[in-house]
Amino acid sequence: MDTNNNRLNAKDLINVGVYTAICAVICCAVAISGVIPVMMLFLVVFVPILTGIPYMMFLTKVKKFGMILILNILMGALMWVTGMSYYALVVGTIAGLIAEYIYRAGGYMSKWHGIAAYAISGLYCWANYFGIFFNAEAYFSTRQNFGQEYIDAVTRLLPAWMCPVLMIVDVLCGIIGGWIGTKLLKKHFVKAGIA
Amino acid sequence: MEYKLDRNTHSLLDPRTKLLLLFTSSVFVVGSAGEQRMRVFYWILVFIPVFLLFMEKEWKAGGAAVTIYVGSYFAQIALQHELTALESVLALMLYIITKIIPTVILARYIVRTTKVSEFLTAMHKMKVPDKITIPVSVIFRFFPTVIEESRAIGDAMRMKGIEMGAKKATEAVEYRMVPLIASCSIIGEELSAAAMSRGLDVGKKRTCIWNIKMGFFDWVIIVLCLVCFIWWGIGGLFI
Repeated sequence: MDTNNNRLNAKDLINVGVYTAICAVICCAVAISGVIPVMMLFLVVFVPILTGIPYMMFLTKVKKFGMILILNILMGALMWVTGMSYYALVVGTIAGLIAEYIYRAGGYMSKWHGIAAYAISGLYCWANYFGIFFNAEAYFSTRQNFGQEYIDAVTRLLPAWMCPVLMIVDVLCGIIGGWIGTKLLKKHFVKAGIA
Repeated sequence: MEYKLDRNTHSLLDPRTKLLLLFTSSVFVVGSAGEQRMRVFYWILVFIPVFLLFMEKEWKAGGAAVTIYVGSYFAQIALQHELTALESVLALMLYIITKIIPTVILARYIVRTTKVSEFLTAMHKMKVPDKITIPVSVIFRFFPTVIEESRAIGDAMRMKGIEMGAKKATEAVEYRMVPLIASCSIIGEELSAAAMSRGLDVGKKRTCIWNIKMGFFDWVIIVLCLVCFIWWGIGGLFI
């Protein structure tokens, strides 16, 4: 009986799909602004903060092991298909697994565990920068048409030491986004009885 | 017993072929792997979505796509020299058009012509676990819904005088995001109720009214995709 209750059923899987779609649409809307070099750097700020709201809503639906992991795998796969590198998929899967364990440690209801899980699982956003750091030539060869100015601007903004800094920024913004998410959740959804 | 229904003529390709084509086109068109050596395949992959549009009798969209391609091809030739700031913005737009649009057309074609049950059956035949296929099919179905909802909410907010870049950015975000998530979560609930009543949870083998079979065009596309990958892998040895 117990094992049966812990298996993911159609309802859980549909919830995963719904929230992945919302997060992906928000990501796309934000990522389009990445064509401006400075905004490219701020993606790691805006994406975690904005997707925090649907994500915290999603976490209220998570009661079983595996849902966060599937969401992260799907987000990573979407990043790959839409022309980022496969780093997002790899990092997203690992981060999703860690986040899963963190959230489980909180009994699937603890607020701070939820925020921590969100901050960790948002690392797929950071992974999108790997292409610039580790494989700069190949990365820009596909973007020659952006013009040399764009390439120069991005490289100037992203020296190698920015890699760990961006990770820290990503996690911090994840925490902020998760915190905002719980606030909004409390303000709007709990009252309305949705969450 | 196989139930014969002549409705499987409505879409030219099998869901599996469509996904393979989408993957190939995202590697070679969006990711532009292989560069010069893949030139011919690149253009073939760019024009397959247009061909599919014509097969679906969407003459207007197909014609527009061809015009855009041809125009941007000549414009790209014209923009080969040293670029000024304005021209690099133009080049950026061209880049987006030539790289993204074929895949967008393809993705739109897939969403429009693939029934969810068709997709699930095809994935089941490929032995992909439910845990991946159900969320993916929901995502496919949900993309248009999220965009539609957010557009409707945007209209409502504009009527109340709350616009993007209003006095407080937080307000603009909160007033858009909260209704969006609320309505999407309600739609999600309804969707899972519908799935429940269709017996997605039973765990038995599901049947499908459409016949999922590989046809002639499927094999053509599959061979083409495989040739793309093989040529990408070993083509360097011959040139």
